[in-house]
Amino acid sequence: MNDFLQNILAFTLLFLALGFLVKKFFWKNSKPKKGLGKHDCDNCH
Amino acid sequence: MSKQINVALIGNPNTGKTSVFNSLTGLNQKVGNYPGITVEKKEGICKLPRGVKAHIIDLPGTYSLNASSLDENVVIELLLNKNDKDFPDVAVVVSDVENLKRNLLLFTQIKDLEIPTILVINMSDRMKYKGISLDIPYLESELKTKIALISTRKNEGIDNLKDLIFNYKDLSISPCLNASDIDRNYFDNLRKAFPNQLLYKLWLVITQDVNFGKTDRNVIDAVADFKTKTKADLKRLQQKETVKRYQFINNTLKKGQTIDLSTAKDIRIKLDRILTHKIWGYAIFLVILLTIFQAIYDWSAIPMDFIDSSFASLSEWTKNSLPEGAFTSLLAEGIIPGLGGIVIFIPQIAFLFLFISVLEESGYMSRVVFLMDRGMRRFGLSGKSVVPLISGTACAIPAIMATRNIESWKERLITILVTPFTTCSARLPVYLIIISLVIPEGRFLGLGYQALTLMLLYLIGFGAALISAMILNKVLKIKSKSFFVVEMPNYKLPLIKNVALTVVEKTKSFVFGAGKIILAISIVLWFLASYGPGEEFNNAEEIVTEKFASENLSEEELQKKIASQKLEYSFIGITGRAIEPAIRPLGYDWKIGIAIVSSFAAREVFVGTLATIYSVGSEEEETIKNRMAGEVNPILGGPLFNFASGISLLLFYAFAMQCMSTLAIVKRETNSWKWPVLQLVLMSAFAYVVAFIAYQILI
Repeated sequence: MNDFLQNILAFTLLFLALGFLVKKFFWKNSKPKKGLGKHDCDNCH
Repeated sequence: MSKQINVALIGNPNTGKTSVFNSLTGLNQKVGNYPGITVEKKEGICKLPRGVKAHIIDLPGTYSLNASSLDENVVIELLLNKNDKDFPDVAVVVSDVENLKRNLLLFTQIKDLEIPTILVINMSDRMKYKGISLDIPYLESELKTKIALISTRKNEGIDNLKDLIFNYKDLSISPCLNASDIDRNYFDNLRKAFPNQLLYKLWLVITQDVNFGKTDRNVIDAVADFKTKTKADLKRLQQKETVKRYQFINNTLKKGQTIDLSTAKDIRIKLDRILTHKIWGYAIFLVILLTIFQAIYDWSAIPMDFIDSSFASLSEWTKNSLPEGAFTSLLAEGIIPGLGGIVIFIPQIAFLFLFISVLEESGYMSRVVFLMDRGMRRFGLSGKSVVPLISGTACAIPAIMATRNIESWKERLITILVTPFTTCSARLPVYLIIISLVIPEGRFLGLGYQALTLMLLYLIGFGAALISAMILNKVLKIKSKSFFVVEMPNYKLPLIKNVALTVVEKTKSFVFGAGKIILAISIVLWFLASYGPGEEFNNAEEIVTEKFASENLSEEELQKKIASQKLEYSFIGITGRAIEPAIRPLGYDWKIGIAIVSSFAAREVFVGTLATIYSVGSEEEETIKNRMAGEVNPILGGPLFNFASGISLLLFYAFAMQCMSTLAIVKRETNSWKWPVLQLVLMSAFAYVVAFIAYQILI
């Protein structure tokens, strides 16, 4: 394996890793999220 | 294509519903969330005769169809919405033979929705101990259903249940109670207004705040506007319905169930007296905790050493066997040590979950909840807060979601805010490695100092949670009603299958959930540590050779100096040195600073990060622990990880809010950024101050 191939593999892994981290922590989830706030609890009780 | 039967598994909490689910599905199960909310959704496939498959959903435990929490609401949403893809062809209501009367309330409500319903009476093996006998044919005719008498513990009756599910079309759908009996006039009006709708379904919609699926919305909105009674009147009617149902259940059980106490052989009362005793109860709980922490240390030592040295050898082998280059270095110095930093903790985490699962399965955890309620009230918490606080030892995220069954909003908010103080499994790797470096191995009364330190850290976490709860209780001006109901399940020998499933599932989610993040961060860190800007990095070899030309260093020493120079002027080194002034008073160098910053994503990244940083440029086969032990304090000399800096780090991690995912879940659960931001600022500031004081005193 020459240097060029080693660099390609290493940088591919870097971009995959960065993509994963961005998706995990910074990507906005488009699904509607329904939390349980004060309103809901006090209505129930 | 074979047909699939949709089965909803419903029941009161602690009826062994999950055991029935496990017995039916085995390992063919998956855990997800209901769309849009974070209530756990468990589903699985059960193979029935003639190639038919049953798709089984294990719905959250509920006492009735009058929802008081979000997870209970999930049950009603599904049962009322025929257009839901998971709407059951057949409902399987799981009850416990000892609490049949209470469990049947939910059964009769579901039956009245005219869904084919099977009644499962679980824990049949307990009947002889309790002196209970049942007239099954009589009960079947009165309840208009088929009954499966089963024991998941002894694996009895499961095949019969499968047969009943297979033949669900033979089940009667006639209701147990005529809804009109609740109030003739009111229900007559309701029937006239909505002639094509099932009366009991309409009644449930009117009396509850049900969030419906879009398909039935028109009907439901119209029904919700059907106001012929005030809210108080509707409440009274609801109570009347419950009374009517219990009258029916009492009459049915009078003939269908016999309890002969003279033949009962129960030790539950005797055990309860000891385990919930004002003094003995707490003493026993403390002894159990001590035993658990000692066992975690003693039992994990051998597999941990083996994993640590295996990863060190693997790293060395990779470096020697693959052609030299960036990719090989990334593997040997970034990925393998980073992964080693997580795999090494599998034994301890598995043992921790093993003990927690055994305590839950045996029924002891409910006694702890009961025992703690009185104490918890003083801190503005409820007995139910114990469950999130104990689950917090695994992970704050499910623990915060578990607060949903706390009825009082104020108690719930306080529990959410203080739960991240409890020692989660992500802190465990940090604690374990630092303890092993700075706490001696001696023993005191048979207990190792290291195990005692670990237990102390857990207690500090609980203590911090309780004290901050007390402060929040005084500071937060929220009015909220509070009450506490807890079910005391019977003591039972934990089912090995259930314990094993919990241990495997939790360990897997820890390794794969955290592992992916650690792997990604290890890769990024390796790049940041292996590349850098400017002359100092690019010409490191010449600079170092020139600098030490007169000192006659061996080739090995020279290489170490070059690696050190490169690391210092790499991207990571520059960043680390920039933050160093802020963390120096806490006893940390810039490398620890980098680990702290990167572990903000997830605490467990700390060890992996240090393993990666210390591996870069290193030529020797060394374990993570040895590398950390060998680090020298650049200013004071001596080991970097000494008693003062170690304790400072332990305390920093005990109190700091180092978890992005927890902040996200707090935002979701409180519907506001105010609370997570407050949590982050206060916890981090407190952690910094405590770590600072500890270091300055101990140094």
